[in-house]
Amino acid sequence: MAGTQETHDQVAEITGDYKYGFVTDVDMEMAPKGLSEDIVRFISAKKEEPEWLLDWRLKAYRAWLKMEEPDWAKVNYPKIDYDDIYYYAAPKSQDKPKSLDEVDPELLRTYEKLGIPLAEQEVLAGVEGARKVAVDAVFDSVSVATTFREELKKAGVIFMSISEAVHEYPELVQKYLGTVVPQRDNYFAALNCAVFSDGTFVYIPKGVRCPMELSTYFRINAENTGQFERTLIVADEGSYVSYLEGCTAPMRDENQLHAAVVELVALDDAEIKYSTVQNWYPGDKDGKGGIYNFVTKRALCKGKNSKVSWTQVETGSAVTWKYPSCVLAGENSVGEFYSVAVTNNLQQADTGTKMIHMAPGTRSTIISKGISAGRSQNSYRGLVKVLSGAENVRNYTQCDSLLVSSESGAHTVPYIEVKNPTAQIEHEATTSKISEDQLFYCRARGLDEEEAVAMIVNGFCKEVMQHLPMEFAVEAQKLLGISLEGSVG
Amino acid sequence: MPDTVIDTYQEQMQELQGSLPGWDGARSNALDRLRTIGLPTTRGEDWRYSDIKAIRNTAFGLMKTPARNPQVPEALCDVAARLVFINGRYHEGLSDLGDLWQAASVRPLANHLMANAERVSEMRQGGDGINLLNTALMRDGFVISIPAGIEIDDPIEIVHLTSDADSTSAHIRHLVEMGEGASATVLERFVGDDTAYWSNSMLQARITEGATLNHVRLQEEGANATHTATAMVSVGAGGNYHATNISLGGSLARFEARVRLLVDEANATVDGVALAGTGESHDMLVHIDHRMPNTTSDQIFRTVADARGKSSFQGKVTVATDAQHVNADQSFKALLLDRTAEANAKPELEIFADDVKCSHGATVGELDEKAMFYLTSRGIDPTTARQMLVEAFTDDAFDRTGNDTLADGIRARVADWMLNHTGGSND
Repeated sequence: MAGTQETHDQVAEITGDYKYGFVTDVDMEMAPKGLSEDIVRFISAKKEEPEWLLDWRLKAYRAWLKMEEPDWAKVNYPKIDYDDIYYYAAPKSQDKPKSLDEVDPELLRTYEKLGIPLAEQEVLAGVEGARKVAVDAVFDSVSVATTFREELKKAGVIFMSISEAVHEYPELVQKYLGTVVPQRDNYFAALNCAVFSDGTFVYIPKGVRCPMELSTYFRINAENTGQFERTLIVADEGSYVSYLEGCTAPMRDENQLHAAVVELVALDDAEIKYSTVQNWYPGDKDGKGGIYNFVTKRALCKGKNSKVSWTQVETGSAVTWKYPSCVLAGENSVGEFYSVAVTNNLQQADTGTKMIHMAPGTRSTIISKGISAGRSQNSYRGLVKVLSGAENVRNYTQCDSLLVSSESGAHTVPYIEVKNPTAQIEHEATTSKISEDQLFYCRARGLDEEEAVAMIVNGFCKEVMQHLPMEFAVEAQKLLGISLEGSVG
Repeated sequence: MPDTVIDTYQEQMQELQGSLPGWDGARSNALDRLRTIGLPTTRGEDWRYSDIKAIRNTAFGLMKTPARNPQVPEALCDVAARLVFINGRYHEGLSDLGDLWQAASVRPLANHLMANAERVSEMRQGGDGINLLNTALMRDGFVISIPAGIEIDDPIEIVHLTSDADSTSAHIRHLVEMGEGASATVLERFVGDDTAYWSNSMLQARITEGATLNHVRLQEEGANATHTATAMVSVGAGGNYHATNISLGGSLARFEARVRLLVDEANATVDGVALAGTGESHDMLVHIDHRMPNTTSDQIFRTVADARGKSSFQGKVTVATDAQHVNADQSFKALLLDRTAEANAKPELEIFADDVKCSHGATVGELDEKAMFYLTSRGIDPTTARQMLVEAFTDDAFDRTGNDTLADGIRARVADWMLNHTGGSND
């Protein structure tokens, strides 16, 4: 049982504590606390943004002022004081690092601790035949390093921080920014539009299969800051890209806000695979601290035969509010959502997906696995909608919940709205606990209870895990074990 | 909702003062609350699939006795008693209590409240705007009380007839009490003419230890009617509540069943069929609340929608903390007969205990072309074939009416409906 032993060692090594809970001591440059038009202008000026982007931000800010924080999700948290947050925090460094050598070594050490191979040579020096992954690392509000840029450029792939892209490819950014998640979309998205600090921009040109996996690593470090990153991925006709996203934050007693927006656009015959391992600091055993993760992720399958696949493993955050969605506007386009959400202690997760079938022949698959331990609350919330013009739509949805403790809650709230008779929609959901028989079977074969639970949980999640890229799958499997540590018995 | 509408209801409420002993306080409290919260809108979760704009913005008058008594429909099976309500009022002459009075207590709501002033507090007074208006404007209803150990075999039929009732509404409240180990079937029927009326009824049932109540509703309101109905049910140890709701009529119809399983081994099954004809909207909402361990529930819903018809279902199962060993199942299937038909479903689970087995399944689709081909290739004409398939599709939901003759009568009603709704605009 090498795999189990490994997980076990890892658990022992960190004794169930949050592995990424360290703080990096770097000089920070911060805007004053609070939110106003001036702050929006400040952020925009700091990034030397063009006029159109400032106007775009201000429009979002003004819309946000008139909006109300949503309260329909099954999550409870104290009211957020939006004036008590730093909206801009950047590591003080040279204006723009020309190469990794110029990046603050303290930062690089942070990423090293996180296990992110930022320096290209590290990857190159790795095991022969190891897959290359290009990384864009976002530290608090700014992108600090993007690797493998040259190699990607040769393939025609644009992979850079969004603030750079605004300068280098303004027409591309302007063409797609906000087309999938407009400024007024929802409260947190509007906030993000107004104050987004950085994020990643990816453009895959026509017919190009991106030669390596692209990855962004998000890290909140500074105190009292919100992180508002924005990711925009455009896959042009016939292209393919696999994109990975990871995130961590230090352990702090107070809650921190993370309100990101991710927009994906897939044109004719393009495919985007987007994988997330979300491991923000979840708070301690008594629910103190932790990240509030309010994220809007949406994909527009604009072209015919396009495909977007979301895979997420959610183990972190005190509160998660996240519904990666697909708008299937192109004929025969495909949307997929594979999700594992684990909650322990006092974590609350309200997550799911929306599949909006607008065009004929569109198909979607939803597989969601929720695991609740401790005193946590875990909800699946999803919508499958078929518009009247969309003929021959297919959807299959499966949401299963596993209860590991008697004090936790598991909730399923799926919506099905169909306006076309040719649609075939299937939905199944189950909620149950780990079967005593399975536990007994494992234990009779010499596994202790914790190992047995880890094994059963991994089996429960297998259908989702197999959609993760290799490196992520291994990490995610370990994370599951760690997240459930201490929840058994 | 506009103040003028509330003001009209206020006047109606004043007219009703003293009509039900001890109820005046509840009326005015309910109306005060209604003034604050208004009638439901589609922005509220529970009403997202039923837009009652027409009700919200117009004041309906109090329903009046029609000049001529409408035709009372024939019974679908042998009945133990028949209670007839015309335009919201009990009609003694058309009713027949049979021998039921010898075995059970059956009396109008006013008499019940007169004799048992203290029972007022047991009656539901809160709820959403629709429930509040029922509280504020209710005028009549029946109290059926089956003593411990008594089993009534044939259904007790309550027929609600509405005629010549344009722009008026009736608010009815029935109470059903099942003594320990008692069993009975209550069959509620709703029939009306083509006037644009609003029928708003509530049935409250208390099922004590080991008792069984079959609650069958056959809703055949007139084509322009709005039908809103609520069942509030509590089930004690080892008790059973079996509901079957058949929604066939009305331009907008809604049935809400809220069932609380209060003691160990309480069980509820709530089934339903909705056939949404041209332009109709049928909405069913079920909430089964498992408060205690070892309680079980099951739901089977089948809906069919024709041109511009809309069928909606929200089914929620909650399991309270420590309510271990709960089993809850739910199955929802919707059939769309026409391009312009619509189906909505929200099967919801809210679970706070770990040792439970809960599941739901939902499907939406059209008639299976292969099955149609199979039947027509054997010489069955398409209309009949379609009718057969729809009958087969809805049949699962009739299994628990507790009375075969009654179930057959309902099947015949579904078949009749199919004669007029064969997804016409496609042919």
